[in-house]
Amino acid sequence: MNFTRRELLERCAVFGAVTLATSMPVSALPTAWDDAEKKRQPTPFCELGPFYKRQAPNTSMLRAPGDSGMPLTVSGVVYNTRGEVVPEAKVEIWQTDNFGHYDIEGYRYRTLLEPGAKGSYAIESVMPGHYPTRVCQHVHCLVTAPGHKPLITQLYFATDPVLEGNPDKNFTRDPLITSRDLVRPVMIKGEPRQIIAAVNFDLVVETL
Amino acid sequence: MRRFTVATFLVMCASTAAVASQTIAKVQLPCESPYEVLSPTGTQVAVQCKDNSLHVINIPMGTQQSVFPAGRGANSFVYSPDGRWLAVGFQDGTVEVAPSRGTAPSKHWKADSHRIDTLYFFPDAKTLFVGPVDSPGEVWGLTDTPTLRATLPVDFGGMPVCAVSPDGKLLVAAGDDTVVRWYDTATWQKTREYRGFLLETFALAFTPDGKYLLAGGADSRITVLDVASGKEVRQLPPEAGSYIVAINMLGDKQRAATVYLDDAGEKPAHELFWDLATAKSVALKSDSPATCGGVVGGKFWCCTADGKTLTISQHE
Repeated sequence: MNFTRRELLERCAVFGAVTLATSMPVSALPTAWDDAEKKRQPTPFCELGPFYKRQAPNTSMLRAPGDSGMPLTVSGVVYNTRGEVVPEAKVEIWQTDNFGHYDIEGYRYRTLLEPGAKGSYAIESVMPGHYPTRVCQHVHCLVTAPGHKPLITQLYFATDPVLEGNPDKNFTRDPLITSRDLVRPVMIKGEPRQIIAAVNFDLVVETL
Repeated sequence: MRRFTVATFLVMCASTAAVASQTIAKVQLPCESPYEVLSPTGTQVAVQCKDNSLHVINIPMGTQQSVFPAGRGANSFVYSPDGRWLAVGFQDGTVEVAPSRGTAPSKHWKADSHRIDTLYFFPDAKTLFVGPVDSPGEVWGLTDTPTLRATLPVDFGGMPVCAVSPDGKLLVAAGDDTVVRWYDTATWQKTREYRGFLLETFALAFTPDGKYLLAGGADSRITVLDVASGKEVRQLPPEAGSYIVAINMLGDKQRAATVYLDDAGEKPAHELFWDLATAKSVALKSDSPATCGGVVGGKFWCCTADGKTLTISQHE
């Protein structure tokens, strides 16, 4: 027999498996429990860096045919700290090419996305190179949304050779990585001749 | 990457036939130092070590005068224009303003919860601009107990660079959001803004007559703005593949010494003297990248660090 969380919690309360130390009625508990589980920690701040550029084009395809580097997909959803989708967010993303160079003159590997009602975004890119004065490969993100504090952060890769397969231990090798949470697992997908690195990077913004 | 707390203070240490230079002093350092700040009186140099400790060295004596230990996490520091005070910003958002000599008490306060990346004394040395990372700029009065006089908002990020007009009536600050904003220092009202930049500004300088503002940054060129109207007057040619981290006006309004870093982060800093009237530049050949510099007694001083020896030289 399958119970919903609400039914299970109510039965547990009735049969004494859960002790209630709250004035909240039993019927309200499942909702409160769900809300608590949905809550999300804000994505940690990580510096803007010197190469942010305004007015990037709105495109999810950042790589061009023939570009060097492993194809990379980054996707995620923009939430607030209550775990709700933020529908009016704008997500700006910029990174180096596979050789570690930022495009200053133009807008290669730069985009400004509008995730819309579902809050979801995705880019098709390549794995960024190692910028010479930085330790780890990274992708910059800036999220703005009405009524929310702007989020400036960076995404890092658990596969980065600098981390030697142990991001828990080694993420501090890059002094700019402010949180282990910013180092994301990389899933390898696709056919042997067309593998793609896929990373999920949900972005959580704080309300003002 | 970390902001240019270090690089913004790089200035040129030129060695050309046209620039006479003379060694002022050689000072033993307590560590290998990436970056130092000279006092405007030329009697002190504040030396940052890689462990984030900060050492104040008396140049004539060659001795260490005081230390901010590594545990405090000094992140940014600047002398007041009269050389009497040294302001230090820390990783934990605190600021200390300490006397460079004498026994006056230090002022120490929590300015912000974020790391302090930028400090800038106003000409009267009684007001301090504090720029925390990822936070609005702050203006603190230092006459008595440090008092927050104004908060200068940005669309996002922080305010990494500012400049005060020669008459002290105007503060201009550039934000991470690429916007340059004008503030009346009497009321702290924003009076104007310039949104013409697509990339960030890392260096600002007023011409000595206060009529023009020079701005440079990731777009690798100096843009001259009319201070009164806030409009662009002209752009000097870009230095491709580089970005500007410092602009220093050289006494008159005609010349701007500009320091560039390589976009790719591979080459050392290089410097150009720009003639604002002709929009022509002269590249200066450096013996080695300077690690600090400033104007002392109307002459340009700079330093180069070789291991634990700091050579301070004067150029005119």
